Amino acid sequence: MSGVSTITADDVAVAEVPVSFWTRSRKVGVGFLVAGALAAVIFGALATSETVRFTLSENASGAALKINGTVGAILFGVLAAVAGAVLIAMPGKKWFSWMLGVGVIGLILSFLCWQISAAPAGQNFMPLVNMVRGTFLLAVPLIFGALAGVLCERSGVVNVAIEGQLLMGAFAGALVGTMTGSAWAGLFAAALGGAFVSLLLAVFAIRYLVDQVVMGIVLNLFAVGLTGFLYERLMQTDQQKYNQPPHFGVWEIPLLKDIPVLGPALFRGNIFLYTALILVAVIHVALFRTRWGLRTRSVGEHPTAADTLGVRVLGLRYRNVLLAGVVAGIGGASYTLLLYSFTKNMIGGKGFIALAALIFGRWSPTGALLAALFFGFADQLGTYLSAINSVIPSQFTAMLPYLATIFAVAGLVGRVRAPAADGKPYIKG
Amino acid sequence: MRVVSIIAVGGLALSAAACGDAPEEDTGGTTAEKYTACMVTDVGGIDDRSFNTSAWKGVQAAAAEDKNIDPKYVASTAEADYEPNLTQYVNQKCKFILAVGGLMGDATQKVAAANSSQQFGIVDAKLAATNVYPMQFDTAQAAFLAGYLAAGYSKSGKVGTYGGLPIPPVTIFMDGFADGVAEYNKAKGKNVQVLGWNKSTQKGSFTNDFVKQDEGKKVSDTLVAQGADVIMPVAGGAGLGTAAAAQAANGAYSVIWVDVDGCESAQQYCSTFLTTVVKNIPDAVKDAVLKGAKGETLSSSAGFLGTLANNGVSIAPYHEFDSKVPADLKAEVDKLKADIIAGTIKVTSAAQPK
Repeated sequence: MSGVSTITADDVAVAEVPVSFWTRSRKVGVGFLVAGALAAVIFGALATSETVRFTLSENASGAALKINGTVGAILFGVLAAVAGAVLIAMPGKKWFSWMLGVGVIGLILSFLCWQISAAPAGQNFMPLVNMVRGTFLLAVPLIFGALAGVLCERSGVVNVAIEGQLLMGAFAGALVGTMTGSAWAGLFAAALGGAFVSLLLAVFAIRYLVDQVVMGIVLNLFAVGLTGFLYERLMQTDQQKYNQPPHFGVWEIPLLKDIPVLGPALFRGNIFLYTALILVAVIHVALFRTRWGLRTRSVGEHPTAADTLGVRVLGLRYRNVLLAGVVAGIGGASYTLLLYSFTKNMIGGKGFIALAALIFGRWSPTGALLAALFFGFADQLGTYLSAINSVIPSQFTAMLPYLATIFAVAGLVGRVRAPAADGKPYIKG
Repeated sequence: MRVVSIIAVGGLALSAAACGDAPEEDTGGTTAEKYTACMVTDVGGIDDRSFNTSAWKGVQAAAAEDKNIDPKYVASTAEADYEPNLTQYVNQKCKFILAVGGLMGDATQKVAAANSSQQFGIVDAKLAATNVYPMQFDTAQAAFLAGYLAAGYSKSGKVGTYGGLPIPPVTIFMDGFADGVAEYNKAKGKNVQVLGWNKSTQKGSFTNDFVKQDEGKKVSDTLVAQGADVIMPVAGGAGLGTAAAAQAANGAYSVIWVDVDGCESAQQYCSTFLTTVVKNIPDAVKDAVLKGAKGETLSSSAGFLGTLANNGVSIAPYHEFDSKVPADLKAEVDKLKADIIAGTIKVTSAAQPK
């Protein structure tokens, strides 16, 4: 590989287009400068001088990072403004992501200092363990769903049926888990349940060339209908016998569980959390470092070329779509084999958010992970704010994950590009 | 095998299932005209183990008592279903159409106004239409007792509540709960805090959903992290997420269930339920259906108002917590109940039925 020089899209752009002064980096910089200054002034004025505590435990007890509310709101606002100024003064790739991070965190902390200091007496703290744990737990189904999307779409099949795959997994897991009395059997059945929805998607999309988006939506409705029907006619007749799934308990990881904040939040977790994180790494490596990954990507970008080189396009697509179903099915089981029993339509739209996370994460496993965590964090933050009786209406805090995403996709992520052959059936000839 | 046969039938009936359950046709060609009592659930579905379940229980109880009553229901899967479901029952010439839940108020008002000779009933709302029999509950009274109990039982000095949506039938529980805690603080000179609801600003924590258990758990986990050790979810099926989490937490916190005694409707979580703020929907619905079947008029102006006095609202037995709740506290709660019935203590809420 070394010695072969490649021309990337960036090089071409630099060579041909004269660079305007207002690069993306500078524009974002101005945004942070203004937002940071406003935060320092407004949040600083609204905050009280109450001490704000970020406790390192899952409740009010234990060690904490402390700061005066007013001081914190101003200080972190100024920090965001400084990050903006750095971006304006020193534009370029090198600093961009660091300063972006500093700016976003500065704004969030400034806002939190206001909110927490203004909370009712005795509530002026944020339990960090609970925040981190909540973020990851809320992200778990999204990670599975988005990974299912990555597997499908990287090989050129649009997967709108994530919701249906999750739901079918949840249902199959609950039913088989209860009937066999084994959570592992339930997990296996959940994977099969997800794969069943995938099989329908694959056959109709690949074999019969049905429009993949329409097919995905139909499959979601199918899954809601089928599980709803079986739930009413079977599970409800005898909850004990059909719908009291065994649950996986908490698995603690020795040593790691003692790390402050992250330990109790992440390493006293459950099988689904660990599986999700491991799958992200495995699929990332497989997609970008193995022969299977190269073939998958080539089939997703240019199936004709891949076919010419002897890759079995349709076979690979079938395999990946089924694999996606297995992954999403396991994600669905995280609902029924961890804590709850099955209820009708219990996924309730998470599959569509996973789809958004997939696009937001630019069709890459690590991107999907970050996007899912971003959603999870915004969701957890919204919940926290209404719990401390924030002045922000609960309807608004409930919107937070979606608003944050629109902002992030429009303002920070920029243009995303789907695999070129995504959604296009391949007809040999 | 049962599963296989059901799946086989499922294949045939699937198209029907996907569009919501078709109500069962009345195929029995009986000569005597039956009194058809038709119930439309809200989006919570028939099995929310909360108020839809209990309303259906009331209809069934009426049917068990009077063999001439023919009960049926249809479950709404979306808010857009309310109007078609109600209209469909009008077309089927149901004698009594029951709408369950305040969220169905607008749809019921519209359909009832268009069919003025048709008898309707609604739980948790009072409408302008004169042919709708309202069944309402002053749940603030019972929630007041629960709030007092929670405050007395709490070890951490913090108790929590959250709702499904900020609508009167939900916030009335939360108002009563908060006032009950305040009453305890006043009587004992303590400072027990209520998390998740502020009665004066009418702001608090909501799941914005009555079905998703993960949403319920998300909110209660946060309230528990803020220190609450007794939680009252007023979010229908979403509250089951809190019960499941409380069970997994092995008694670190307890739950106050609402609407139907949790130890009957969600038995598997009975070990987590301190008590239940019961809304006696079954009896109210049963009485209404029986009256209707006898041909008595169901007055839309008087309606039914459940209070502690007429046992329309109450708090359930302590069940597994019976030995853990101090006898003094029990006595105080009983005394409080008598005071509310006697009128010496007035429970007020902006959400109270007028």
